[in-house]
Amino acid sequence: MAVVEQREDVAAGAPGRKPGSRSRRVALIVALAVVLLFPWIAYPIFDAYAYVMQLGILILMWISMSSSWNILGGFAGYISLGHGLFYAIGGYSAGLALARWEISPFLFLPFAGLAAMAVGFLAGLITLRTRGPAFIVATIAMLFLGLLFMDNWEFIGGSSGLDLPLFQFPIEFLKVPFYYAMAASAIGAVYLSYRVAHSKFGLGLRAISQDETKAEVAGINTRWYKVWAFALSAFFIGTAGAIYGYSLTHLRPLTFFAIAVAARMVLMAIIGGRGTVAGPILGSILILGVNEFAVRQFGENALNIVVTGLILLAALLFFPEGIVGSLRKAGKLPAFLDWD
Amino acid sequence: MALLEVESVVAGYGAGPDILTGLTLNIDEGTSYCIVGPNGAGKSTLLRTVAGFLKPRAGEVRFDGVTMNGSRPDQMLAAGVCYVPQDASLFPMMTVRENLAMGGYLIDDRALLRERMDMVYETFPILAERSGQNAGTLSGGEQQMVTLGRALMIEPKVVMIDEPSLGLAPMIADQIFEKIRGFSDLGITVVLVEQNAVKGLEAVDWGFVLDLGSMEFEGPADGILADPRIRELYLGKALTRRER
Amino acid sequence: MNWVQIVVLGLLLGGVYAMMASGLTLLFGVMRVVNLAHAAFILVAAFITYVLFENLALDPMVSLVITMPLMFGLGVMLYLLLFPRLEESPRYVEMTVLLTFGLALIVEGLLTFIFTGIFRSVRPEYASTSIRIGDIFIPTSQLYASLISFALLICLWLLLRFTKTGTAIRATMQNRAAAQIVGVNVRRVSALAFGIGMALAGAAGSLLSFMFPFFPGRHWQWIALLLALIVLGGMGSIKGAVVGALLLAVASAFVTSLAGPTWSPITFYLTLFLILMIRPEGLFGTKVRL
Repeated sequence: MAVVEQREDVAAGAPGRKPGSRSRRVALIVALAVVLLFPWIAYPIFDAYAYVMQLGILILMWISMSSSWNILGGFAGYISLGHGLFYAIGGYSAGLALARWEISPFLFLPFAGLAAMAVGFLAGLITLRTRGPAFIVATIAMLFLGLLFMDNWEFIGGSSGLDLPLFQFPIEFLKVPFYYAMAASAIGAVYLSYRVAHSKFGLGLRAISQDETKAEVAGINTRWYKVWAFALSAFFIGTAGAIYGYSLTHLRPLTFFAIAVAARMVLMAIIGGRGTVAGPILGSILILGVNEFAVRQFGENALNIVVTGLILLAALLFFPEGIVGSLRKAGKLPAFLDWD
Repeated sequence: MALLEVESVVAGYGAGPDILTGLTLNIDEGTSYCIVGPNGAGKSTLLRTVAGFLKPRAGEVRFDGVTMNGSRPDQMLAAGVCYVPQDASLFPMMTVRENLAMGGYLIDDRALLRERMDMVYETFPILAERSGQNAGTLSGGEQQMVTLGRALMIEPKVVMIDEPSLGLAPMIADQIFEKIRGFSDLGITVVLVEQNAVKGLEAVDWGFVLDLGSMEFEGPADGILADPRIRELYLGKALTRRER
Repeated sequence: MNWVQIVVLGLLLGGVYAMMASGLTLLFGVMRVVNLAHAAFILVAAFITYVLFENLALDPMVSLVITMPLMFGLGVMLYLLLFPRLEESPRYVEMTVLLTFGLALIVEGLLTFIFTGIFRSVRPEYASTSIRIGDIFIPTSQLYASLISFALLICLWLLLRFTKTGTAIRATMQNRAAAQIVGVNVRRVSALAFGIGMALAGAAGSLLSFMFPFFPGRHWQWIALLLALIVLGGMGSIKGAVVGALLLAVASAFVTSLAGPTWSPITFYLTLFLILMIRPEGLFGTKVRL
C-alpha cells in the first residue's frame, strides 16, 4: 500500500502536471492568436494603422531582445550592458546582405541570428573570464569597441551609414511583413527562453547564478555553460536587429549601439521579473506603454530617459524581483504567468 | 544578574529558515564557556546575533541588563562585546602592528593605545617579532594570534571566538587554547564555539550543547566531557583508549 | 613630434584620468559599487562650472571650491537615500550597478532637458595658450588641470594614510567584516567614501570643462573609459587606477601621434581585453570572491 501511495505523490509532482496548466494553455493560445491576428484585427479598428503596427513591431522587438538578454542576465545572473552589439551585428549583416548581394533580410534572418551568435560566442570567451562587476565593465567595453570599429569601417559606410533599398510592398500594409517577421523572432526568443528554463542547461545556469563556486564543485562546466548562454542570448537579438534595420532603410552604428538600447533591454527584463520566462514579456509591454504615454505627454524629449531611469530605480528599490518575481514571492502569481 | 542574557532568541539569514529556534542561555562574568553541537545547530549564528551582525527575529539579547537587539557591531564593541569570527578577519595588506592598532580603533587616547599594544606584545611575543610584516603573509597560527591580540586591545568584557582552532595543526591549536585560557586570568569572559568539542571544553569552565537552534544541555565543562551519553550523542566520538 | 613631448603630454593627461578614476575605484573598494553614474556627475560639475563662468565670470579652477563640497554633499545624500536599502540584498553588486545606471539616465535626461544637447566648453584665457619648457610645448589648460589633479591625488593619499577616517576607509576596503568587528561604523565610512568619490568627480568636472568640449550624452564615453581604467588597474586599487591611467594615457598618446585620434580609444579597449585575457583581476587587483 505504501508503494502505491508513493507513486501517487510522485505523479502529483511530476513535470508538466503543474496546477493551473489548463489556464496556461488557454493563455498561450489566446496570446498566440492575438499576436498572429493582430494586423487583421487592428485594420478596421484603428485609423492610424501604420502607427499601431509600428507599436506592435516595437513591442515584439523588445520582447525578442529582453527575453534573449534574460538567458544570460536572468538565468545565469551575468548582467551584460553590451548586448546592443548583437543588435548591431544583426542589423548590419542583414543590411549588407541586402545592399551588396540583394538577399532579402527576411530570408537572411537566421543567418543574421547566427552571425550575432558567433560573435556572442567569441565575445563570451573573453568577457566571461571576469565575474561580477568586472564582467559588466567588460561588456560595456565590448559595446564601445564594437561602436568604434563600425564607426570607422568604410566597408559598411562608417558613421555616416549604409543605405538600404526600400521594401517593395503596398504602402498601406508596408508594416505587416515586418510585423510577422518580428513576431517570428519574438516567439522564437520566448520559446528558446522557455526551453532553456526547463532544461538541465537552465538548471545549471541557475546554479551558477546562485553560487558559482558551488556549481563548479558540483561538476558543472561553468565556463562552457556561461559562454553558451552568452551565445544563445545573442541570436534573437540579432534577428530583431536585422528586421528593425530593414524597416529603417538607413543604418547607422549609433542607432544600434546607443546605450539606451542596452538600458531598455535590461530594464524590461528586470521590471518584468529577471530569470522568469513571462517576466521580460510583461516588462516589454509595460515599459513601451509607459514610454508611449510619456512621449504623448511630454513630447519626444529628454524627460523620457529621466522617466526610464526613475522607473529602473523604483523597480530596484521596491520590486527587485520584478512583477513576476514579486507576485510569486507573495504567493499570488496567476497560473497563466507562471511558465518557469 | 548575568552579564549577557540571551532569551528565547529566534534568528535566521535573509529570507531563510530559522536557525536559532528559541535559544535561552546566560553568560556570567568571569566564567569561560564553550558552545558545542552538531553542524547547523546554530553555534556561529548565535555569536553573530549577539555581536550585532544578525538581528533577532524574536526574543531578546541583553548585555549588562540593557536590551541590545539590532545594535550594530560597532555599538556592541563599544559596549564591551568583542567578536572574533571564523573567517579571516584580518586586514591582509596592513602590518601586524597596523592590525593591532585597528583593534584599538575606538580608543582615542594615543598613549593608552600604545600601552595596550605593549601589553599585547607581552602576551603574544611572536607578534612583536613580526610586527612589521603584512598580516596576509603570516602562518595560520600567527594570524590567529593577531586576531586574539587585536581583541585584547579594547580590553573587552566578553570575547566571543568562533572556531579558534580551525585549520590549525594540533600543536598550534594547543598554543591558541593556552592563550585563551590566559584571557580568563585577565578577567575577560570567554565564549568559544568549537567544532573540536573535546579541546574546546577542556579549555573552559562551562559548556553549552546546542542542537537544532536551541539548548540541549548545559553544565560544567568537565562534567559534559565525562558524561558518556552526551559524548556519544553530541560530541560524536567514543572515548579513545588514551582518554579512558 | 618628439617622443618626450608625447610622453609628457600623456602623463599630464593621465594625471587627470587618474584623479577621475580614483574616485570611481575608491567607491568600488569601500562599497563594492560600480558607479556607472560617475561620469554623469562629472558632467554635472562641468555644467555647474560652465554656468558659473558664463554668468559670474568665475574661473573654472576657482569653481573647484564650489563644486567639490557641493558634490560631496550630494554624494553623501544620495548614498544614504539609495544604498542602505540594498545592503541586505543577495544580489547587491548587480543591484547597485543597475541603480547607478538608472541614476546616470536620470542625470543625463535632466542635463539634456536643461542645457540641450549642444556642445559647451568653458574658455578662460589660458584655454588657448601654451607654455614652453625646453623643447616641449604644453597647453596651459592641460598643465593647470594636471597639476591640480596630482595635488588632489596627493591629498587623497594623505587622507587615506594618515587620518583616522582614512584608515577606517582603507580597513573597510580591505575587509569590510573585519572593519565592523573592530568598531568601524561601515555605513558612515561608506557614505563618506561616496562623498569623497563624488567630490573628486566634482573636481574632475570643473577641470574637464575647460579641457574638452562636452554635452550631456558624453558621459557614456567617459564612464566606459574610466571603467576600463579601473578594471585594468584592478578594481578597488587606487594605486592600480593611477598606474593604469598613466600607462594608458601615454600609450594612447603614442597611438594618436602614429595613427590618428580615432585609434586612441580603440587602444584603451583593446588593451583592456588583452589584460582580461591574461590577468582578469587587473594589474594590482586581488582575486576576490565577491
